[in-house]
Amino acid sequence: MKRILYIILWLALPLLSFADNNTTASFEKGNALYAKSNYKEALEVYKKLIGEGYQSTALYFNMGNASYKTGDIPSAILYYEKAHKLSPGDKDISFNIQYANQRTTDKVVEAPEFFITKWWKGFILALSLNTLSVMSIVLVLLASVSLIVYFFSEALTLKKGAFYTAVSLFVICLLFVFIANRQAAYFEGHKQAIVFTASVTVKSAPAEKAGNLFILHDGTKVNVLDTTNGWTKVQLANGNEGWLKGNDIKEI
Amino acid sequence: MKIRFYILTILLFTATLLHAQDARLTATVASTQVATGEQFEVMFSINTNGDHFAPPDFNGFRILAGPNISTSMSSVNGVTTMSNSYSYYIMAEKEGSYTIAPATIFVNGRRLTSNGLTIKVVKGRPVQQQRQQNMQAGGNAQAAAPAEADMAKNLFMRAVADKTDVYQGSQITVSYRLYTRVDLLDSQVDKIPDLNGFWSQDVKNSKEQQVRWHIETYKGQRYNVADIKQTILFPEHAGNLTIDPLGMTFLARVPVAPRNEIEAFFGGGSTEVKQKVKSAPVTIHVKPLPEAGKPESFTGAVGKFSIEASVDKSELKANEAINYRVKVTGSGNIKLFKDLSTNFPADFEKYDPKITDTITESINGVSGSRVYNYLLIPRHQGSFTIEPLKFTYFNPNTGKYVTLTTKAFPVKVNKGDNEANVTAFTADKQDIKVLDKDIRYIKTGDTELAEEGDGLFGSGLYYLLLTVGPIACAAAFVYRNKNRKLNSDVVKVKSRRAGKMAAKHLASAQKQLQANNTKAFYEDVFKGLYGYLSDKLNISYADLNKETIASNLKTRNLDDQLTRQLLDTLDLCEMARYAPVTHISQQEVFDKARGIINDIESKI
Repeated sequence: MKRILYIILWLALPLLSFADNNTTASFEKGNALYAKSNYKEALEVYKKLIGEGYQSTALYFNMGNASYKTGDIPSAILYYEKAHKLSPGDKDISFNIQYANQRTTDKVVEAPEFFITKWWKGFILALSLNTLSVMSIVLVLLASVSLIVYFFSEALTLKKGAFYTAVSLFVICLLFVFIANRQAAYFEGHKQAIVFTASVTVKSAPAEKAGNLFILHDGTKVNVLDTTNGWTKVQLANGNEGWLKGNDIKEI
Repeated sequence: MKIRFYILTILLFTATLLHAQDARLTATVASTQVATGEQFEVMFSINTNGDHFAPPDFNGFRILAGPNISTSMSSVNGVTTMSNSYSYYIMAEKEGSYTIAPATIFVNGRRLTSNGLTIKVVKGRPVQQQRQQNMQAGGNAQAAAPAEADMAKNLFMRAVADKTDVYQGSQITVSYRLYTRVDLLDSQVDKIPDLNGFWSQDVKNSKEQQVRWHIETYKGQRYNVADIKQTILFPEHAGNLTIDPLGMTFLARVPVAPRNEIEAFFGGGSTEVKQKVKSAPVTIHVKPLPEAGKPESFTGAVGKFSIEASVDKSELKANEAINYRVKVTGSGNIKLFKDLSTNFPADFEKYDPKITDTITESINGVSGSRVYNYLLIPRHQGSFTIEPLKFTYFNPNTGKYVTLTTKAFPVKVNKGDNEANVTAFTADKQDIKVLDKDIRYIKTGDTELAEEGDGLFGSGLYYLLLTVGPIACAAAFVYRNKNRKLNSDVVKVKSRRAGKMAAKHLASAQKQLQANNTKAFYEDVFKGLYGYLSDKLNISYADLNKETIASNLKTRNLDDQLTRQLLDTLDLCEMARYAPVTHISQQEVFDKARGIINDIESKI
């Protein structure tokens, strides 16, 4: 019994592993620079952290803020969207995305969504994928414990209580896994990108000679539908589709 | 021949008449058969002096010259013969048979009539119709006001087009030309031609207001000629188009025969005549432009052109202006050009071009240049290209379409100074609700930096951790069931527990041994052995005696020696409870009992 516990602890340890002090210090340093309005330097520090392979909602959010303050709206939106992807339910991020979008050139009226779709989206995006994962693991462990209690307890009340707890915990856990799965599928299926070229003409086909459809400007968010030969098929929120060159956009 | 014979006869008669001093007027012609357009002479001769000669009405003929008057006098043998002749040069205009009516003359108060002449006109050179033939000349002609017909001959206007078979849109030069043989005192334009179906451009004589006169021979006559109006016409649609006549009214001074000697002395009399003049309409046949090979970029330019384009800068900041200049030079319908099909980057703000024409209208047509000045304002940074401009015109001389292409101009737009403040773009974004004044502040609290990767979800670790719980449950379930199964068999459980119970009793016995409590020691050893056997052999405590033990052990194939040893020890313990035992120490009994239990445990 003790050995199993050790194994669990050993497996669960990486979950609890926080960044070491060095990176935390870097992050704090970036925040301090930001607080002193040294946005460019702060952005450099944040970027270095990203370069070292770290990521977090707060990091991307702060990078978005720093980019916004330096006037680089497309980058700001890209970072905000990255933060949003890591933590879809965060109100601050949603607010800043909306705010930064006021500074972009293109106004894209979103095609109205069916209300159930909207609710569903809000439901699966309420919690971040990591939170959902950790919670589902914790729940399955708790459920298992209570089931084991049910197995071995002699007293009827305890046995009954343990059984129902276990069943409900398992159901909740399955729900969490399902939501996490849907969320992952959503981000997998909804690849988005931000236009970075100041002005880009969207073509009707993946060729230079193809007819011009419409013009996008930097900072506009597009859905990525397809990619061929360095061309990307994009879709606007209002439903318009077209092709543009892959290097005009950066994927979120 | 017959006619000649007659004429000869008449002449012979005349000769005899002359001889008799008899006055006679004779009309003669060289040939009574003429061709249309052929000039021939008609002579009226009289063998004496006469006056008031009245020529006949030359119906069907046109008088080209005359009358020419000649007088001859001869004196033979004292007899003076006089002869006067009036000759006219006339021309037949139409085929047919015509009669020249007799002429009259007065001789000594007597009216003489000539003979008539019949002229047969056969087809010859075509003759342009002229309304009137009568021509009055000064000199001996009767003093009368000149007829309208004479004026039309001396003063008329023609519309002359340089081409009458053209393509739609190509230029035609039309001159309204005034022909005159009389002095003109005043003029006024009655009707300016409408020129329907044409786009017209008047040729301006910038150098002189006055029309320039020159001398031109037209239909054998010399005229003073002036171009009243010159217009360049561009037919706007295909078909037969008519150039309208130009109507003018002139006041002309016409010479007339002097009424008296004084007038004659001063060079003859004259009179002022008001005359309306109208040019004849001219029909232009306009061909449509060929559809075959008509390029898409053709917008109606006809003529011959060249094109050049330029930009004033190739690198600029966003929101700065750039000028794109296109110059089209050549001759043709420059003023009818539509807008050029420019191809600017779609993201440039484009304003309507400023058009500057430098055009001269001459007798050779409209030529010059048109400059299109486009003002462009790029609103965003980037590298753009002003694509080549295609300009197509139709060359009517070759009957082909020609497409000219300008250069492409790369334009580099750098980031502007205040790109965000482009009012043109922010103005239409008003309906976004105004939020706070600034973005929300950075996140400082949680610093949960994680290594970038695919995340926990979906990784092997995740699934492993997820399955740990159920696996543990399953293990627990199996373990519990096994446990339950074991505990469900009471005999087995007792038998399994027997050793433990015995050990308990023996441990207690050891305590008594150390406490040197002999009686309790033996009791404990006895209880230990008995309890052990009761549990192990599943015999109730009450039924337990030496016989049952022995038989039971036997059935379990325990060897006899061990059974005897067990029974001996049991006997010893029973005995020692009541009487002291000396031949064996307590320690030995204890070891023996333990040894027996161990042996049985290992064997059963």
